Amino acid sequence: MSAPDPAAGQPAEPFLRFDRVAIRLGGKDVVSLARLDVARGEFVCIVGPSGCGKTTLLRAAAGLLRPAEGEVRRNGRLITEPSREMAMVFQDYGRALLPWRTVDGNVALALEAAGTPRTEWPGRIADALRKVGLQAHGQHFPAQLSGGMQQRAQIARCLAQRPTLMLLDEPFGALDAITRQGLQDELARLAREQGLTVLFVTHDLEEAIYLGDRVIAMRTNPGPGRPSLARAIEVPIDRPRHQLATREDPTFLRLRRELFDHIERGHA
Amino acid sequence: MPEPRGSRRWPWRTLRATAFPLLLLGLFEATARRAAALGSEVLAPPSAALRALAQAALDGSLWPATGFTLGAAALGLLLGAGLGTLAGVTLGLSARASRATFLSIELLRPLPSVALLPLAMLVFGFGTGLETSLVAFGTFWPQLLLIQAAVRRVDPQLLELGRLLGLSTAQRIRKIVLPAIVPRVFTALRLGMGFALVIAVTVELAGNPHGMGYAMLLAQQSLAPAMMIGWLAWIGVIGVLLNTTMLRLQRALDRRMGVAV
Repeated sequence: MSAPDPAAGQPAEPFLRFDRVAIRLGGKDVVSLARLDVARGEFVCIVGPSGCGKTTLLRAAAGLLRPAEGEVRRNGRLITEPSREMAMVFQDYGRALLPWRTVDGNVALALEAAGTPRTEWPGRIADALRKVGLQAHGQHFPAQLSGGMQQRAQIARCLAQRPTLMLLDEPFGALDAITRQGLQDELARLAREQGLTVLFVTHDLEEAIYLGDRVIAMRTNPGPGRPSLARAIEVPIDRPRHQLATREDPTFLRLRRELFDHIERGHA
Repeated sequence: MPEPRGSRRWPWRTLRATAFPLLLLGLFEATARRAAALGSEVLAPPSAALRALAQAALDGSLWPATGFTLGAAALGLLLGAGLGTLAGVTLGLSARASRATFLSIELLRPLPSVALLPLAMLVFGFGTGLETSLVAFGTFWPQLLLIQAAVRRVDPQLLELGRLLGLSTAQRIRKIVLPAIVPRVFTALRLGMGFALVIAVTVELAGNPHGMGYAMLLAQQSLAPAMMIGWLAWIGVIGVLLNTTMLRLQRALDRRMGVAV
């Protein structure tokens, strides 16, 4: 359990690899890390205080920004621009759906972008909506849906892309507790069923442990010799997990304490 | 909109809204009648103006002038707003194009379109071309600026979403930018319609011997104040009608676009 590099994964052939990556925004080092590997099908959660570069790391994985140093590779190929194999879920669902399109239309956007033949659209849309339980709401506009349902719609659009990698940026941060728990379980199920690799950014430690196969804690203000990745912990809890049972599991509680202590100390 | 409450209240609402204009009209009527009794040829009471207007409508002289002005205004607006929208989208999307044209725009924009009348007369002579071109010039600039601002205000996250999904630039413009600015395009058009009517009538008053403005000028010069004021009222009515129609259209569109559900 005491690996020299806390972020190093064990798989031989990583699906996603950050290699000596330094990201600067406005001349300041925002993220700097030696190595982060994510295995195919792995669910990795990234936690850390606000401003530690969680989102920036995600954007680099999405190909929305290029690191100043080092490289990010997916399947061995350098990521230089967005790809349809990667789908991103934004926290702010109100600004991630086209308000002038119905849910159907928003899901269709992914298919239009991919050049999917029009004849396949109805089936693909219905399929994506069924996976997130929105089959009855295809004709509704985003403004007619609750926050949780809008977030489902966003996830449906991502699934319609048929991605291999899902990047989620605090997707449930703005939702109420009950809705959040429901969506957590659905995301975990979808990720398993679809064999998705997931990078999930959150500031909620419990959420990170509950969802993740591995939780990575980031710290603010990295510098020379002070990497962004502070700690990585494995979560050896069987799936499917359960909102009550898992959160009362001794392993869960131990990991939570460990992570909490760590972040507390990192702050001081 | 709370329909039942609104409909129960409508007589009061209408009364409240019309009370002041009616009062003004009444005052105008009284003043003009007294002036007419004293032998004035400047003022005519609204009742006489209405009569003159009705007569013009019946003998057919109202319609060609109305048609000319509205036609020229509409054509000019179509040209000006169309090109303005095109230029506005381009400049809104490209910071480089915007920097390159900034000075030219700021130099040309403040020119009152009527100041171009002498030049336009030389180029087009009297007629539709003259009026249409000046309306187009006058409506182009506000449309350009409003659309440019609208494009700049499109949510950057939506544009990022387009990039993530792999939409081409043309697709991003067609599927994200243009639908996002539709409500603002409509507002700009509504403003532009007002400008177009003002410019058209001004051009007719200032030289172009056609349309409602010229008809009003003729009425004034032939000492027919009732007809002159009749034209004035008619131009106002047309302005209100156009604006109301546009507002209705915009609301219907907003509903369709999921903006006001």
